[in-house]
Amino acid sequence: MDNQQKLQQAFTVALGVQPDAVTDSLQYNTIPEWDSTAHMILIAELENVFDVMLDTDDIIDMSSVKQAKVILQKYDINFA
Amino acid sequence: MTSTLPKGALHHSTVLITGATGGIGRAVVARCVAQGATVLAAGRDEEALVALCKIAGKSVHPLVYDITNEQAVKDAFRDIQKKVSDGLIPPLYGLVNNAGVMMESPLSVTSMDKLKLQLNVNFLAPYQHMQYAARLMSRLRKGSIVNVVSMVSEQGSAGMSAYAASKAALTGATKSLAKELSPVGIRVNAVAPGFIETPLTDHYEADARKKVLQRAVMQRAGKPEEVADAIVYLLSSQSSYTTGHILPVDGMFTP
Repeated sequence: MDNQQKLQQAFTVALGVQPDAVTDSLQYNTIPEWDSTAHMILIAELENVFDVMLDTDDIIDMSSVKQAKVILQKYDINFA
Repeated sequence: MTSTLPKGALHHSTVLITGATGGIGRAVVARCVAQGATVLAAGRDEEALVALCKIAGKSVHPLVYDITNEQAVKDAFRDIQKKVSDGLIPPLYGLVNNAGVMMESPLSVTSMDKLKLQLNVNFLAPYQHMQYAARLMSRLRKGSIVNVVSMVSEQGSAGMSAYAASKAALTGATKSLAKELSPVGIRVNAVAPGFIETPLTDHYEADARKKVLQRAVMQRAGKPEEVADAIVYLLSSQSSYTTGHILPVDGMFTP
């Protein structure tokens, strides 16, 4: 499983959405499934899947799927 | 003094306890071990932690760091995360924010340094611990956080305004986070000890001690084990329908 697939899986598990809903344009608080509770679970999933511990500032900034990729790259998680 | 809780209430669970080498901390470590928990005993004094681990057994792991050092707290949780993912310890289920500092000081002679120290140790550090712990717990949708507050924060006490304020902040966070974290299966409660026989109260001279104890309906000081029993109760599933509660362990004390 590559990093893109891991990311997609983390989002589908945390938000309870279909894989095809996980696109770069998906943003926090724009769908009912991505609320503050799901955001906490999402962070836990991302940290577990990629074996990182995110800074609080990065969690605050993680406002979209696209932004999640940008932030994870700071932790040497690269996306093709 | 033995616990009356059923044995094994914390099997297959890891519990992080700050201030583990203090009076109440040691009792909580012992009670958690007795209930089958894997304990992460946190403190600054490496020598005291190693000695505690020798006594308490191999299910207790020392974590040496200063809880007011933000990076050190993050590193400690990263260490916990790695140990869990490597299967070395069970998932983090419990957090006991027990470390605290109490400085009696009237308003006119309370320095900003004293105020900030108490806010750092008694509120900011526990808050950061809850942030990281909740992230680890939320993945499994279960966890229990127990904060050690104080009856002084509930009722106020002359000469202890800074301490009371720092603990009142933690009480407020406890009640709010109980509401915020309930959807992810995490309960947040607190115990509010009264006058407990610990190194923190050792400095009371006989007369002062007598006066203080007269203000408790039960007319005696509490034991660390009595506070530990309340903490373990709130950690365990014995209290599965309790969250946002501040449990006094004070012999009905009036500060």
